[in-house]
Amino acid sequence: MKLRLPREKRIYYIKTVLRWIVYYIIIILFFSTMNAGTWTKPILLVPAALCIAVNNDLMASAFTGAVCGFLIDVGCGRLFGYNAVLLTVFCVAVSLLFELYLRDKFINFFWINAVVSFIQCCLDFEFYYNIWQYDHAEIIFYEKTLKVWAYTIISSLFVYLVFRLINKKLMPREHLTIKEIIDNNRGITQFSKE
Amino acid sequence: MKSFVKSTRFRVLIVFIAFLVGIMIYGVTKGGYSLSAASLINMITQPLKSVSNSIGMEFERISDKIFSPDKYYEENQQLKERINELNRKLAEYDDLKAEVEELRKFADMKEEYPELDMSMPAEVLGYITNDPFRSFTVDKGKADGIEPFSPVITSDGLVGMTVEVSEKSSTVRTILSPDLSVAAIASSTNADYGVIEGTVLTAADGHTKMSHLSTAHKLKEGDLIVTAGNTGMFPKDYPIGTVISTDFEINGLSACAEIEPCCDVTRLSTVFIITDFTGKKEGADEAQTAP
Repeated sequence: MKLRLPREKRIYYIKTVLRWIVYYIIIILFFSTMNAGTWTKPILLVPAALCIAVNNDLMASAFTGAVCGFLIDVGCGRLFGYNAVLLTVFCVAVSLLFELYLRDKFINFFWINAVVSFIQCCLDFEFYYNIWQYDHAEIIFYEKTLKVWAYTIISSLFVYLVFRLINKKLMPREHLTIKEIIDNNRGITQFSKE
Repeated sequence: MKSFVKSTRFRVLIVFIAFLVGIMIYGVTKGGYSLSAASLINMITQPLKSVSNSIGMEFERISDKIFSPDKYYEENQQLKERINELNRKLAEYDDLKAEVEELRKFADMKEEYPELDMSMPAEVLGYITNDPFRSFTVDKGKADGIEPFSPVITSDGLVGMTVEVSEKSSTVRTILSPDLSVAAIASSTNADYGVIEGTVLTAADGHTKMSHLSTAHKLKEGDLIVTAGNTGMFPKDYPIGTVISTDFEINGLSACAEIEPCCDVTRLSTVFIITDFTGKKEGADEAQTAP
């Protein structure tokens, strides 16, 4: 006998699959912008990976962090796996932080993203320029690294809004909050009175 | 009827018709030129004809628009398709033109430097994101016979060297980078040897630096710097850039010069990769480039 899934569960699966497809389409889009032109550009994949980590479980966040990291390595010509390791660690940490201590608010995401991208930019500068003792390497830090960091945190607002929209439309919720239940009940009561 | 045929009116009419026929026959004999009366009539009625003609045409146009929109719509669609087709052909033509120009350059270079074995023109896929030394990737790789540490050039001058080769693409490190050292010599004096190595400061302006020059060098602004070719990493006498300014190193023991590359390394679309050349050192020395 073939068992059929209840309707809600099917919707849950469909929404989840769709959400991840959209996530990865956006990741690919962000990656393609990295290789466009010669201007200094934000590393959009960092806030994207963190945005995904904020709202998803640990393993999925870790995997996405690794994918985004690999793409940054390819785009920035870095040792393949270097940024993947970094972002995996950061995504796991962020996922845990938001699961245990922080609420899903933009301000929380903003400062977390600022800290993470600053660490990522500083490590990149340290390992790729400063460690080789280039003359005037500090110029790269002030004119490139800090610029990239600033662009990244500014662009994180846009990235956050994009992912917020996706989550709003495609994030299935397993449980309602108490406030939502009260609101729903209030709505039903008003409707029955009318 | 009989009375009409016998009447004066009928006779007058016949005479008038005969007159007209006569005029007609006369007109035929004029060999294409109109009679003066006709000319006069034409001249007098010309403005009138013109106005009436334009009114008639406008009326026809309006009525045509009202009564046959489908015809115009179809015609419009056909014209749009035609424009699109022509635009496509134009784009193809531009691509072909660019390709022909690249191949022409390639042929010229083959002729000018017969000792160089070059790959087909390699398209620049993109610059490495936020790299201050403008490394880039090209669409030729191992499958096209490219090896790591192969010199990369344009028809104008040296660009850099491949540092990472994958199956279908390669990463090129440019002469703006401090991680790439090229033995160089001044073409004019043929005596002033030095090493081309980029710095953070010069790379910001798209320039590079020639260091380890003798303090007694005779370099002056505008002098052409070419590859020395004594390391076996780069072909001999290939243009690198021109001298912008000279100075002493901080230690005072040697001199240096700021070099403007012959080709704009920051805005490349196509390059050539040298796969073999006279004097190439077998098993390229990886120590030539820093990690």
